[in-house]
Amino acid sequence: MGRAASKQVSSEADHAPPADELQLVAKAQTGDTAAFDELVTRYRSRAFSMIYNMVRNEQDAWDIAQDGFVKAWKNIGRFRGQSAFYTWLYRILMNVAIDSLRKKQVEGGTEFDDAIGLQNIEPGAATTPRAELEPATRLGDKEIRARIDEAITRLSPDHRAGIVMREIDGLDYQEIADAMESSLGTVMSRLFYARKKLQTMLKDVYETL
Amino acid sequence: MKPFEEQFTAWVDGKLSGPELASFERELKQHPEAATDRADALKFGNFLRANPSAPKLTNADFFNLQIQQRIATDVPRERAVERAAGWFWSLPRLLVAGAACLLVAGVMFKTMIPSGTSVTAADASPYFAQVVESWTSEPGVSARTVYNAKDNVTVLWLDGLDYIPASYELK
Repeated sequence: MGRAASKQVSSEADHAPPADELQLVAKAQTGDTAAFDELVTRYRSRAFSMIYNMVRNEQDAWDIAQDGFVKAWKNIGRFRGQSAFYTWLYRILMNVAIDSLRKKQVEGGTEFDDAIGLQNIEPGAATTPRAELEPATRLGDKEIRARIDEAITRLSPDHRAGIVMREIDGLDYQEIADAMESSLGTVMSRLFYARKKLQTMLKDVYETL
Repeated sequence: MKPFEEQFTAWVDGKLSGPELASFERELKQHPEAATDRADALKFGNFLRANPSAPKLTNADFFNLQIQQRIATDVPRERAVERAAGWFWSLPRLLVAGAACLLVAGVMFKTMIPSGTSVTAADASPYFAQVVESWTSEPGVSARTVYNAKDNVTVLWLDGLDYIPASYELK
């Protein structure tokens, strides 16, 4: 992968977890809440950031991260140690986040505009849409982040998950497919369109940097 | 053969190799802007990673505390239900419940079913007439019944009736 960001999750699988982590997991599986609390402490910041990147709202990220950890606690008996604990936890957190976004979508009647920018993308075209750019203005970090947040929240939950897992968390296609329980082709297709949409929405930002 | 968007994504991410890469590169000759698009996509990915927008988790200890509270309230509740269910359906509990049912049934039988020694009014007097309902066919006439237990007499009082026709028959 060769990307710094890819270390976030993949390194968990590539390198053996700390020896005491397996002990903590084993203790948690017997109902030891203190051991699980230690696991929460280790991964809470990473989990919160990952979920924030999905939902783009601090309070929602807090709540969903907690839901994810509680779900992990309830299912920790099913963890067989075939992957790193964080890899297992990551899947749970991501699925809780996607479910939350879908629920919000249904309850709020939100229509994620999957057609954003697609009018500029021919089905077989490799070209990035050439939107008319705003006059180049130097944006501050805060404005840039606000623009990124706004653009990502306009993606559907599946496209959002794909972008976050690939571009920010650095997962490979198979890991994304496993987490989303979808095929590799679906993952690549979602990435294609999600990237195009975001590039269209943020072109004036990242091209002027 | 994979759709174009899948191959393009894999190509951007450097996941194509061998014959698949060669085949796709031949196809790209029809898309002269592809190289620019790939560079653009890579630049965009770098831009996203260079601008992490997730804030730091504040009040981290409180975050843990809330999780612990949720776990604590969830687990005992489930276990309490299990314990309650197990105790309720235990053999001693069933025996106690059965004995209580028998006791209630016995008391009800004793109090609600008349014993063989009690004498009903009908048994005591051959003249006893049980008035179930008293009403008249005349609108201006009302009927009442009075039972005197001491004399074992039931009186039918017809108010507003001038006389009883000779053909009248009490039913």
